[in-house]
Amino acid sequence: MVAVKWQQFMESAFYHDFRRDKIAITSFVIMCIYVVACYAAPLIAPYNPYDPTIIDIMDSEIPPMWLDGGNSRFLLGTDAQGRDLFSTILYGTRISLTIGICAVLLQGVLGISLGLISGYFGGRVDSFLMRLADIQLSFSTLMVAIIFLAVFQALFGTELYERLAILMLILVIGIAEWPQYARTVRASVLAEKKKEYVDAVRVVGLRPVRIMFRHILPNTLSPILVISTVQVANAIVSEAALSFLGLGMPVSKPSLGSLINSGFEFIFSGSWWITIIPGIVLIVLVLVMNLLGDFLRDVLNPKLYKN
Amino acid sequence: MRKEDLVALRDVSFTLDKGERLGIVGESGAGKSVAAFSILNLISKPGYISGGEIRFDGKDLTRLSLQEMSEIRGNRISMIFQDPMMTLNPVLTIGTQMTEALHAHQQISKEEARQRAIDSLAEVHIPSAATRIDQYPHELSGGMRQRVVIAIALITKPPLIIADEPTTALDVTIQAEIMDLLMELCNSSGVGLILITHDLGVISQMTERAIVMYAGRIVEEGDTKDIINNARHPYTHGLMGALPQKTTPGQRLNQIKGGMPPLNEIPKGCAFNPRCPLVDDICRTTRPDYTTMGSTRVACHKALSEES
Repeated sequence: MVAVKWQQFMESAFYHDFRRDKIAITSFVIMCIYVVACYAAPLIAPYNPYDPTIIDIMDSEIPPMWLDGGNSRFLLGTDAQGRDLFSTILYGTRISLTIGICAVLLQGVLGISLGLISGYFGGRVDSFLMRLADIQLSFSTLMVAIIFLAVFQALFGTELYERLAILMLILVIGIAEWPQYARTVRASVLAEKKKEYVDAVRVVGLRPVRIMFRHILPNTLSPILVISTVQVANAIVSEAALSFLGLGMPVSKPSLGSLINSGFEFIFSGSWWITIIPGIVLIVLVLVMNLLGDFLRDVLNPKLYKN
Repeated sequence: MRKEDLVALRDVSFTLDKGERLGIVGESGAGKSVAAFSILNLISKPGYISGGEIRFDGKDLTRLSLQEMSEIRGNRISMIFQDPMMTLNPVLTIGTQMTEALHAHQQISKEEARQRAIDSLAEVHIPSAATRIDQYPHELSGGMRQRVVIAIALITKPPLIIADEPTTALDVTIQAEIMDLLMELCNSSGVGLILITHDLGVISQMTERAIVMYAGRIVEEGDTKDIINNARHPYTHGLMGALPQKTTPGQRLNQIKGGMPPLNEIPKGCAFNPRCPLVDDICRTTRPDYTTMGSTRVACHKALSEES
């Protein structure tokens, strides 16, 4: 069964297009390296940045090993607290990616359900949900997140916040961006709903929930896939921005954004690598995801055939 | 009834006995499909049923709750649509789409449902049903797909099937095959059939009784053979005259001049009067009532008698 599916995939137009698109292949390979490297971080990283016992403040601000004063123990140098930057980046990317993916899953579940309901039932339900989405969209994600996270920190203290930081970031970014999904899904549902197969399953006597999730949803998957890649990139950027502003991950458990932030104070004293290297890692990650999203959009939308 | 509403159907009363086959004919826009969807209470918004009743098994379908209606749809009354390219969901295997109807209405295990689906595919003469069942609609030809649609309609063994122009999207040879198949299945399992079509040839082969509709109203109803051989209403007459067989080769086909009026411009009196060759003053002012002539019931001031 798996072999048959694999065979079908190898013969599909999707795979064919993928093999001819150098940008897509490169992006996909880089993406895979990112995912493997960061989730295998405990195996790859030479140090555990979360373990305070192995951090020596005397090692702080050592430049990358190929520069003057570099130390072969630290590939990419160390940050202001003496943590190995390479290890910290690996762990940080893991946090960034986890937050990005989980936040998008939450956005997806919320947005897809509400979009399906809105498009399928129409009328007042539709107007209500879509106006709600409009209101949500009129606040920028960052603004909502900043207000929410700042209030939470003020109310419950920094200590509790630091323990729940990952969860809070996922919740805030996930909830703030659901209208993106809801709108896309609603638009596809409106188009699908008019097709005869929907009438046909209504005639079979299926319940609306089943019709929506089992019949209409799979037909709207391609736009969902496309925005998902872009949304993961967006969520990672939002997280980085929040961390940079000091509202995201604490310095003891840094994500890419908080690493960039922590190095920012030292950038003019010459220790540029603490900020620049995680910055490049972040930029490449986001770029690669957007390129993959572009590729998916081109392939899954037959109207946009590339010559 | 709200003030601005337009009436899509009026005076559409008919009965169907158990296992009887009824044909509904008329031009596009006559209200055939609306009538069919009304039976299942599936008219799309903003349309609604403003009055009248639809009795099935002694129950008035217009008064049933959504829950009770779901029990009827697909279980007691099935429907076959016009275009099999459109009525099957492109992303699900035909097996999934077939067993769904069973799971929706019966407590049945997965294996049993699958077996029923395979049997049902075999019943509509699909070769190697056991492998076909895992295929997607795009892997089947148009005729095959319509067979699958028919198999889905029959899988719950409903007492009534509504077929809304089941062969219009297929080519002529496949059309005949599908019609033979439908006929065979109706005869073997005693299923009642409401066949909606604009093909009088199909009606005469398939059905026992026929209804001719025009502008949302029944204009003539009776035994199929009487309607075909002995049309009383000038509209039915026109339809019959428009059949290619009625003209000598090389000649232009006969046609009824004009077109079906849109819902908001239905003429006063008899709706057919602007196109009727026999039109008279009374046709322009008074809507004709039904008169019974032999086996047929006809709504026309000028109903043609046997001789004409």
